[in-house]
Amino acid sequence: MFATFPILSLITFLPLVGAIAIAFTPRSRPGLARYLALAASGLAWVFSLVLVVSYILPTSGNTIDPAGFQQIEQRDWIPVFGIQYKLGVDGLSLVLVVLTTTLSWISILASFGPIKERVKEYMVSFLILEVGMLGVFLALDLFLFYFFWEIVLVPMYLIIGIWGGPRRIYATIKFVLYTLVGSLLMLVAILATAFTYSSGHNGSFAGAFDFLALRAYGPTGFSDSLQLFAFGAFFLAFAIKVPMFPFHTWLPDAHVEAPTAGSVILAGVLLKLGGYGFIRFALPLFPVAAKTFGPAIIVLSLIAIIYGAIVALVQPDLKKLVAYSSVSHMGFVTLGIFMFQTAGMNGAILQMVSHGLITGALFLLVGVIYERTHDRTIAKMGGLSAVTPVYAATFGFFMFASVGLPGLSGFVGEFLVLLGAWSYNPWVAAIAAFVMILAAGYLLWMFQRLFSGDVTEFLKGIGHHLTDLRPIEVVTLVPLGTLVVVFGLFPGLILGLISGTVDSVLAGLQASPAVTLFPLQ
Amino acid sequence: MLWSDLVTIAPLVGAIVLSVAIIVVDLIRPGASRPAVAVTLVGLAVIAALTIQTGQTSAHAFGGGYVVDALTTFLDLLFISIVALTVLFAPDYLEPRGLPLAEFAATLVFAMTGAMLISASADLLVLFVGLELMVLPGYLLAGFAKRDALSTEGAIKYFLLGSFSSAIFLFGLAFVWGLSGSTSVGVVSTHVAAIVNGSAPFSPGLAMGLAFMTTGVAFKIAAVPFHYWTPDAYQGSPTPITGYLSVGPKIGAFALILRLFVGALDPAKTDWLVVVIVLAALTMTLGNLVALTQNNVKRMLAYSSIAHTGYMLVGLAAYAGGQVSGLQGLLYYGAAYTFMNLGAFAVVAALQRRPGVTSQLDTFAGLGRREPLLGILMTLFMLSLTGIPPTAGFFAKFSVILPAVQAGGWLTILAVIAVLNAAAAAFYYLRVVVYMFMRESTTESDPSRHSSLVWAGLWATTALTIVLGLFPGPLLSIVTDAAKAIP
Repeated sequence: MFATFPILSLITFLPLVGAIAIAFTPRSRPGLARYLALAASGLAWVFSLVLVVSYILPTSGNTIDPAGFQQIEQRDWIPVFGIQYKLGVDGLSLVLVVLTTTLSWISILASFGPIKERVKEYMVSFLILEVGMLGVFLALDLFLFYFFWEIVLVPMYLIIGIWGGPRRIYATIKFVLYTLVGSLLMLVAILATAFTYSSGHNGSFAGAFDFLALRAYGPTGFSDSLQLFAFGAFFLAFAIKVPMFPFHTWLPDAHVEAPTAGSVILAGVLLKLGGYGFIRFALPLFPVAAKTFGPAIIVLSLIAIIYGAIVALVQPDLKKLVAYSSVSHMGFVTLGIFMFQTAGMNGAILQMVSHGLITGALFLLVGVIYERTHDRTIAKMGGLSAVTPVYAATFGFFMFASVGLPGLSGFVGEFLVLLGAWSYNPWVAAIAAFVMILAAGYLLWMFQRLFSGDVTEFLKGIGHHLTDLRPIEVVTLVPLGTLVVVFGLFPGLILGLISGTVDSVLAGLQASPAVTLFPLQ
Repeated sequence: MLWSDLVTIAPLVGAIVLSVAIIVVDLIRPGASRPAVAVTLVGLAVIAALTIQTGQTSAHAFGGGYVVDALTTFLDLLFISIVALTVLFAPDYLEPRGLPLAEFAATLVFAMTGAMLISASADLLVLFVGLELMVLPGYLLAGFAKRDALSTEGAIKYFLLGSFSSAIFLFGLAFVWGLSGSTSVGVVSTHVAAIVNGSAPFSPGLAMGLAFMTTGVAFKIAAVPFHYWTPDAYQGSPTPITGYLSVGPKIGAFALILRLFVGALDPAKTDWLVVVIVLAALTMTLGNLVALTQNNVKRMLAYSSIAHTGYMLVGLAAYAGGQVSGLQGLLYYGAAYTFMNLGAFAVVAALQRRPGVTSQLDTFAGLGRREPLLGILMTLFMLSLTGIPPTAGFFAKFSVILPAVQAGGWLTILAVIAVLNAAAAAFYYLRVVVYMFMRESTTESDPSRHSSLVWAGLWATTALTIVLGLFPGPLLSIVTDAAKAIP
């Protein structure tokens, strides 16, 4: 059915087409820009669902790589260096592509009300951001991957810097500089691997940036020292994106200052770029180094889980609280990945998806209250359930999903990670499980302060502006809520898709031993 | 002199005829800028055609002192496009200030003649004559606004340090001539090769000559610690001239490096490798660190141009470290830097159209609202200078860093220094974007319309900045041929 039809390129560049179309709309008609952006991202979403169907029901014309990649598109781009335009999709990227396209149209719809200034530029930035994110998930050439990875940076920089809060310039420059340091070192590592590959192939650069070729060559072809160095560089780039402790300090600033939709994408997709990078590139290419650094990274993950939760407990600002809870939740992702076993990695991927849905929804909900009161201080709120009952119920639903209530998607991911942790080391499991109690603590306490008790003077002052959820807001939240329930009840939907990827990554790791970094003899 | 010699140097003859023609046109229609611009552009197109025509076959002229190969053709076309773009950007800036355009264009074409002579020289004396012919008009141009104290100050500094470094270079050249008995690049090269492989005794005089020439060249490319003239000369000069100074003489000096260090001193490359690594690391790091603190965009771009010299030196170092592709990277970087940097200066010049407008960062505040298109183009150039895809600057960085990583050892560390510098540079380039899009305008809006010449130049640089980033293949094969022509 899609024998020669480049559906991956179509999905990736549909938003770009929308962005170009918007660039030609008159500035006096912001409505046109809004609906064009919604249409472009909506179409990309529809085609990503078509992609899911064609992935599950592979037809005879579909090119399927033995490693499980489908719909591979391959063109020479810069032949001198063997750089290709190569896209492909496997279960892991499929899941994240659908997450991206879903959150993108939801974010664009959620921006209709709050973004009133420079709508045209905003929508163009947002669509280019979507192109970059989709490209990262689909690229099978390391140069192309880096290309998209950097493209993501610029629109996010503009979105925080132009449409953000009072300290937006500080926040956005911090975000860019942190990310850039990591990614540029990753570029050096990519070049080093490409060069090593070419010197192992008579100096020919053909395939030197091809992920599939490198994955076949790397684990044995790369020397231990190259693996350690290159993994270090990749790790830095991905750890800053996740963000792992101690590279997380850009995140609270960026989240607090970003406009609502920016926060949704930041938490929902951008943080997943890091986790995706670990599973897709860092582990298969440098298994020896991954094994060697694994225990240290697990320690960092545990610190992130505890630290994020404790700091979230004392945040007076609603958005900052959700931001720090992200640090804690993403700690489960890296914990799950670096235990190198099936349950942990499945849990990590589920956690990535469910964190994207739940935290995205929580940021949308924070945006709702901020739009009405122009404040996010928890202490000023109170008794909201009496004024806005639907809002309170929705908030409660996503809050419980974030706590990890069984039956909702947040539970499955964390449960699988804990299950893996138990077999890895019971102490690790004990510490991580303890933090789940903390998470319940800070989230329930926040919920109680916001919604119970008497309506505060501050909220009374808002008066009739303090309306309940509007239809457009309901439309943005319902799909997220539905997916949270669906994946909570039927996690097999995702697990079935990703099992191939998880198995092949773990099989690659099994074959490689760790090295002793500091021999004591 | 033979007829065939004249045919070989036809582009040079064309350039001299063109500069005379511009002056004649100015005599006929004094002060009219449009005819001068038209004559210059048509003349440059003819010279470009001549360059491509003569470049079809490799040739020598004047007893081997003048050589035409793929490198000559590539560099000459680059010089011609630099001058053409500068002439496009200049009228809008010079006219309101009462500065004569025809003299400007004629001086510029003279400088171009010098640069073209460098790129074609196979003899150290021809090299020196070309160098002087290139930089002397540069001093004139730097002091072009002669009633402006800053411009005069910059020009004097540029002139004093420039002549000083020329003298040092010539002094070194005298040593080399005295000890090798020839100024021919080929003879010097065999002489150096004999010393390197031990068949001739080590000569301290030759080493001293090399040291002096290196110092002279380091001044010309503004490598740290020989860069002190750059910021003042760049800030003081009229903005379109600064744009030219930041690329023209720099590419010219790199042409000299290619002909001298890569052509004549190639056998000794493991010896000057260390010098280039140190120069490159210092130049990138210091240029970027000082650029971080600048509040004047012209001065910031001056320091950033020092940093970019450092990135180009990484390519040279990679070559000396055994990777011929380092030279391709150097040439690619030169071309990419030319277009993105000229584009950035064009935007600065366009903003300063009204006399009295400074190039402080405040001038850029709110530009995204006042003139959105100009703001977007400037953002593109800033991203390209930072090295973020999909722009020319990204692939340029890629093309110098890859050979450095390939060469291994100290050069890998140099590559890491280069990328860390690129991250630091992001701060000051993006600060311009912050001012343009994230701050409100502090000056009253100036609804000045920019001439179609400026837009033509801006669209050309924009298109090249994007195309060289997205599809580097064609230029890459051109610079590969050019790099092969040298040794």
